[in-house]
Amino acid sequence: MKKLLVLICVLMVSLFIFSEEVITLNLIEAFSSPYRTPTLNNIIQMFETLNPGVKINVISPPYETAYQKINLMVSTEQPLDIVEIGDWDLSALAAMGKLEDLTPYIESWPEKNDMVEGVLEAASIYQGRPYLLPHGVFVKALFYRPDILAKYGIESYPKTMTELYEISKKLTESGKNQYGFAFRGKGYPTAFIDIVLTSFFDDIDPNNMYLTKSGEIIFEDPRAIEALNFYVSLYKDTAPKDSINWGWDEQVNSFVSGITPLLFQDPDTTGMLNEMLQPGQYKTSPLPLGTSGKVYPSFGFVGWGIPTYSEHKDLAWKFIKFVASAEINGYWSKSYGALPVLQSVYTYDSYFSSDLFEGWTKMFDDPEHYQFTEYPLDNENWGKWNEFQEKTMQQVLLGKLSVENCLKQWTDFWKDAGIN
Amino acid sequence: MLSFKNYSLYNFQNIEWIGFENFKAIFSDPFYINTIWNTLKWVLFSVFFQLILGFILALLMREPFKGRGIYAGLVFYPWAISGFAIGLIWSWLLNGQFGVINDILIKIGIIEENISFLSDPSLAMFSVILVNVWYGIPFFAIMILAALQSVPDSLYDAAEIDGAGYFTKLFNITIPYIKPTLINTILLRTIWVMNFPDIIYGMTRGGPAGSTEILAVKMINTVFYESNYSKAATHGVVIISILFIYTIMYLKLTSKREFSL
Repeated sequence: MKKLLVLICVLMVSLFIFSEEVITLNLIEAFSSPYRTPTLNNIIQMFETLNPGVKINVISPPYETAYQKINLMVSTEQPLDIVEIGDWDLSALAAMGKLEDLTPYIESWPEKNDMVEGVLEAASIYQGRPYLLPHGVFVKALFYRPDILAKYGIESYPKTMTELYEISKKLTESGKNQYGFAFRGKGYPTAFIDIVLTSFFDDIDPNNMYLTKSGEIIFEDPRAIEALNFYVSLYKDTAPKDSINWGWDEQVNSFVSGITPLLFQDPDTTGMLNEMLQPGQYKTSPLPLGTSGKVYPSFGFVGWGIPTYSEHKDLAWKFIKFVASAEINGYWSKSYGALPVLQSVYTYDSYFSSDLFEGWTKMFDDPEHYQFTEYPLDNENWGKWNEFQEKTMQQVLLGKLSVENCLKQWTDFWKDAGIN
Repeated sequence: MLSFKNYSLYNFQNIEWIGFENFKAIFSDPFYINTIWNTLKWVLFSVFFQLILGFILALLMREPFKGRGIYAGLVFYPWAISGFAIGLIWSWLLNGQFGVINDILIKIGIIEENISFLSDPSLAMFSVILVNVWYGIPFFAIMILAALQSVPDSLYDAAEIDGAGYFTKLFNITIPYIKPTLINTILLRTIWVMNFPDIIYGMTRGGPAGSTEILAVKMINTVFYESNYSKAATHGVVIISILFIYTIMYLKLTSKREFSL
């Protein structure tokens, strides 16, 4: 018995002497999914292997309530070291004053100059300071099905909005359940409406999509009437009637089944399409140019931030930097479906320079025609706007509200919100 | 308390008392009357048809037959599934483009073109109520079946001796006997249905153009779109106020008549 006690004591003392102190970083993700979370866990495992004594504890709230949980945890200073932040939530979190300004970290980061142009600027929407480092970028492009287009003798994708309408109309045979454009009626249709609407302008403010360069609200401009009428005709003449009730699932389903072979979507759609379609069955192209000869895409982004009250800020940055490194960013983007944030990844990994990404590479290479702009995400009426725009747009599509009245309501909304 | 403050995702730091501002904001919304009207339609039609069909189901289940246990399990199964999941499943079944229901109706020759169940405002409310009725029947059936089994057989035997037919027994024995259960179940179910956004949220999120938006869905949309928790709480206060008035009136009306056999 004495021998056993001595042995236990020796073991305890050895453990105390030789064990390292383990630092645990708490990370909360905002976009958990059965596809993405395992990839994040793999990256964390690599980081932990390279950094003995560091453990990362992942908190994965359900996607629907993630923003609320993150905001509550940060505002009440619950133990967090790395926080995932989406573009639509950045201002709300930064306004609390509880997100670390990452400028000093980013300035000393060697890969800073390798970032895709405009990404860091887009991520600095709150008071011009970067409160997060993006790990993925989302830009809408045109997805098309060459196999379906070929059946109708169409050899190329639409390069302008007029061509988009004409090709979609040519494809539409409602009796055969064949349509052209995969319309988005519900579940944040904002970007879809705005891409078409702003393409009728040639003077959109690069810092605010809803203003012209002279500071006027775009919805009170006569060009908006023409643009919105065009959008309505796209729905009425080329899309299934049911698409007024379509969200992402229905849009993609309809594209996969070939019912609507023309689709505006973000790069994360490629993940699902690669699983459901054969190689070559779909391609991407730049967004069609509007009557102005331009189109105004916007950068959607998601990234990592550090709460000001974190006790391990440097270690948290080490992880953020690790995820943003070319090799990891490529692996992450491929699994997740976002566009990489570093330019070198596009050459480093041939996947991102393949035909599949032609839509985005062409847009990035032509800043004259594809002029990136930003949403007024820092305006506190932004969330309300999404619901209001969806509802009023549906009223217009159903013929319950005129285009002119709708635009007046949109103008009044943004005037009340103090946008200009 | 929350409904008198300005607590939102954009304002976690300077939360203040703002009086009736949230109430003013929601009642000045031009869509709000429509939302209240939708709520009344949703509750009234859902509860009424759930009650009638649940009652019929309970009467059928009351008589013993072979495999009744398995049949009861199958009939009551929908009640065990999440309302949101039910909404999502039905949104695909009723999809106007690739929905199974449209496919079946076309194949058996009832319709020639797809019906836009969820995108036509005149059909959308009917469709979500139909699904809610299907979902809620088992609850009424369970409650009523339990009450029916407590009615003594001797009452029916005595009535039969007096020459009473099926409907005489139903209206003079069965219904009066289970009346307390019916009153309580209708009251509970009305409260639940009014606070039950799951199916609508899964099927239409209140659209198209607000045609299926009820107060409970509006409350969720206010949280998810606007992230305005105080305003969402204000919708909650409106719901509670309506239910409070309803409960008082309902109990007053139903307690006037004495329960007797």
